[in-house]
Amino acid sequence: MSASSDTLFEASGPALPAHVYVHIPFCASKCSYCDFYSMTEYDSTLVEMLARGIECAFDRWALASLPGVVSTLYLGGGTPTVEPGLAARLIVSAREKLMLRDGAEITVEGNPDSLGAERVGELAAAGCTRISVGVQSFAARELALLGRRHDAASARDACERVVSSGMDLSVDLMCGIPGQTMASWTASLERAVDLGAKHLSVYPLSLEEDTPLAVACGSGLVAEPDPDAAAAMMLLAEEFLASRGVHRYEVANYAVPGHESRHNIAYWTGASYLGVGPAAHGMLDAATAVAVGLLDSAGAEDVARVRYWERPDLGAWLTDPRGESETLTADEVAREDLMLGLRLVKGVPKRSVTAAGLDVVVEDLVGDGLVELAGDGPDARVRTTSRGWLLGNEVFGRIWGG
Amino acid sequence: MTDPGLIRNFSIIAHIDHGKSTLADRVLQLTHTVEARDMVEQVLDSMDIERERGITIKAQAVRVMYDAADGQTYQLNLIDTPGHVDFTYEVSRSLQACEGCLLVVDAAQGVEAQTVANALMAMNAHLEIIPVINKIDLPAADPERVRHEIEEGLAIPADEAVLTSGKTGEGVELALEAVVRRVPAPQGDADAPLKALIFDSYFDTYRGVVALVRVIDGTLRKGLKVRLMATGTVIDVEEVGVRRPANLPVAELGVGEVGYLITGLKDPSVVKVGDTVTLAVHGADTPLPGYREVKPMVFTGLFPIDGDQYPDLRDALDRLKLNDPALVYEPESSHALGFGFRVGFLGLLHMEVIKERLEREFDLDLLATAPSVEYHVYTTKGEKVIVHSPQDMPDPAMIDRVEEPYLTAQVIVPPEFVGAVMDLSESRRATFKNMQYLSKTTVDMHYEMPLSELIMDFFDQLKSRTRGYASLDYEFLGHRPSKLVKLDILLAGKAVDALSFIVHKDKAYARGKVLTERLREIIPRQMFEVPIQAAIGGRILARETVRAKRKDVLAKCYGGDITRKRKLLEKQKKGKKRMKNVGSVEVPQEAFMAILKVDE
Repeated sequence: MSASSDTLFEASGPALPAHVYVHIPFCASKCSYCDFYSMTEYDSTLVEMLARGIECAFDRWALASLPGVVSTLYLGGGTPTVEPGLAARLIVSAREKLMLRDGAEITVEGNPDSLGAERVGELAAAGCTRISVGVQSFAARELALLGRRHDAASARDACERVVSSGMDLSVDLMCGIPGQTMASWTASLERAVDLGAKHLSVYPLSLEEDTPLAVACGSGLVAEPDPDAAAAMMLLAEEFLASRGVHRYEVANYAVPGHESRHNIAYWTGASYLGVGPAAHGMLDAATAVAVGLLDSAGAEDVARVRYWERPDLGAWLTDPRGESETLTADEVAREDLMLGLRLVKGVPKRSVTAAGLDVVVEDLVGDGLVELAGDGPDARVRTTSRGWLLGNEVFGRIWGG
Repeated sequence: MTDPGLIRNFSIIAHIDHGKSTLADRVLQLTHTVEARDMVEQVLDSMDIERERGITIKAQAVRVMYDAADGQTYQLNLIDTPGHVDFTYEVSRSLQACEGCLLVVDAAQGVEAQTVANALMAMNAHLEIIPVINKIDLPAADPERVRHEIEEGLAIPADEAVLTSGKTGEGVELALEAVVRRVPAPQGDADAPLKALIFDSYFDTYRGVVALVRVIDGTLRKGLKVRLMATGTVIDVEEVGVRRPANLPVAELGVGEVGYLITGLKDPSVVKVGDTVTLAVHGADTPLPGYREVKPMVFTGLFPIDGDQYPDLRDALDRLKLNDPALVYEPESSHALGFGFRVGFLGLLHMEVIKERLEREFDLDLLATAPSVEYHVYTTKGEKVIVHSPQDMPDPAMIDRVEEPYLTAQVIVPPEFVGAVMDLSESRRATFKNMQYLSKTTVDMHYEMPLSELIMDFFDQLKSRTRGYASLDYEFLGHRPSKLVKLDILLAGKAVDALSFIVHKDKAYARGKVLTERLREIIPRQMFEVPIQAAIGGRILARETVRAKRKDVLAKCYGGDITRKRKLLEKQKKGKKRMKNVGSVEVPQEAFMAILKVDE
């Protein structure tokens, strides 16, 4: 299941990444806590232009004739389900233009208010295998505070539709919402599992600068999210979900074994991925980046990886999608992979820590009870502890800082 | 050489912000010393910080030629003076180089504390004082009231006060006419042995120490062998000249003339402000009066945040010292902060200016500890120990008594704020001496108070409690016995030397309590619980606790988040770098200054 086993042509020259992320920036309205790039004012022409732009990108990658097949496709946003037919069309285009492997994982993000029977049917027919539903909470007060468009009943309906269509249901839930109680949090978790979610993403609410919610908190209108309460809720989620057979596999992600998100695991295991659409990020190994002209071979000696992001504004993106990029050296790649790998329950091999020269840092982290060693010999691994899950920035920061 | 009868030497003195420097600019323009197109606003304030803060720190001297109404051309030497209380000594030595002064008073603000202090200094120097009521262009200007205040409060006849506006230039010519008519020409004996007063000096990287001088008797000429009387140093005069305002070499400076003298010396400490220059052979027997060493009043520990910058800090202090004889320093080491310097300043503004210059001009990141004063500690063995830093305080069992510096403080306020000033002063151990009405709208109050209380946020508090109306001046009185104790702050059970301070016994509890509370707010939550305690000797007075951090995680981290998240972690790490690791506790810099802002 490891992402790198999907990459058949690893380290043997340029290859087509096995993972493709497509960003759809449209939303029906903006939630109070969101600072992502999305637009709420658009018309059918813009929708059509975006779809064509994304299809063009698929064509360009196809024309590059790189070896490799795509094993996961993820349509995120924004709200990919907000426009009828759009997500389904892009799935079909991807399958036509890029080589999608049999049994590929195809995920679409959606909000309950745009997951009516018709939309769910469309997606199932197009071959979508997973729907990630942005429920956030099943409590009316909490939904109102977050500025969500749906209520608990429509969230329930959307989840039921996804399950009965045969697609995998993933539910996003949020803790640390002002006014949220342990009881309402437990109720939301329970509801999601009861509705048949095989996968849950559990996030503490974070206040992003200049969002309406942050402004409301800043002015004292709304109580600031309490980090201690969020910590208690994160602990509760782990315990409660485990009791229902849904196990943590990443800091914020839980799944019934076998239902983990293969696409997201790619991000945490250093696999290459394509990013298509306004503000989408992609990551390529140096050889592939040179092959597609993202990196000049003359200046590429020290570069192991290139991460790039397409222009974050739809108008600009339509004229030229190329945005900025950054290069990572082999040393930075090693540290980034360890930093991301420690987000996973299975952790990272001890020998890669040693190879990156981070033994001392890890010893300190062990001393602070943030990570632990499991097993010994060549199979020994370094894993995050339950204290480490809550203080992740301490772990990731020290690993990245080396 | 100019006939002394056609020379006028004068200063401009004023309370801070009353428009002195702008007026000086107008004089330069009016006399075509600086053409309008070359005019940088406030030419005489050449340091960046002076311009930004709108204050004059170093005295400057400039020669202008003025065609007076009587048809004669006069040589006017304008000596600009600092307007802040920290720099009183610089004002007094500048005044000794003059025969008269313009006493500038803001037409809206009226007489303030430094107006009074500066006027007294001018009277003591027997100067002709010409009152100038400035900023008459302001809508709130009330020249009649101010005229009254000058007469009542300062006992200076003000019926001939000149009304000016530095901004529009109105009345500036009248002020110069008054200088020509009323300021006496310099008196001196051209045939007597040379006597010249050093009233300022600065360091030029290429030419060494340059002294600004006023010739009293004799002639100062290039090539002369001269002696600096206080230090006995003998030098050859490399160059003499006048400032217009750029240096312009001249053959000689005669009686009454003001200019510069290039000594060729590389060590600024031998050129003392207030000293007398005379001939090396057959020189004058007695120096000019009034010379004294400047003594620092306020001390603080300055530490580089990055320990590697210690040598850079030392070099930077050496460089600043060249232009600032009042700056003193010696190495100091702290368990919490590493190696740094204990630095002495004339006052709080001087301290702020130096710290800012070190950070800005020398690119240093500095941490300053709470300011301290000079304590005199008498031990049971009868020894006197001078203490500039709480760290040097002897063991309480060894102390017989402690003396601390006292000041006379003068506060000038409108009558409605008298109560507020009394409340504040009382809370700062000040003893009320007397008060008098300068006019219906101005009261002059006198206190005696410890300097240590004055440097604790007193001026800011005074300003805020009087809605900005109060003005303050103070003068050193002497050391007096006080019941003082050293208060220690413990973090996670360990005393942090850089947070210790000396405080009056009766205030120790309150201050310890407030400070631990402040520190609890400032010190971020750490991986473990951090107790904060205030203690005298082994006795704990107050305790607060910073709870352990429970959650610090960015849960969302998918493809598009990785770069952003990594940058966030880098930023977090940079933030941590700016903190000091004291034992296992990360302490933000502001914690070390928290003690200053203790409002009980």
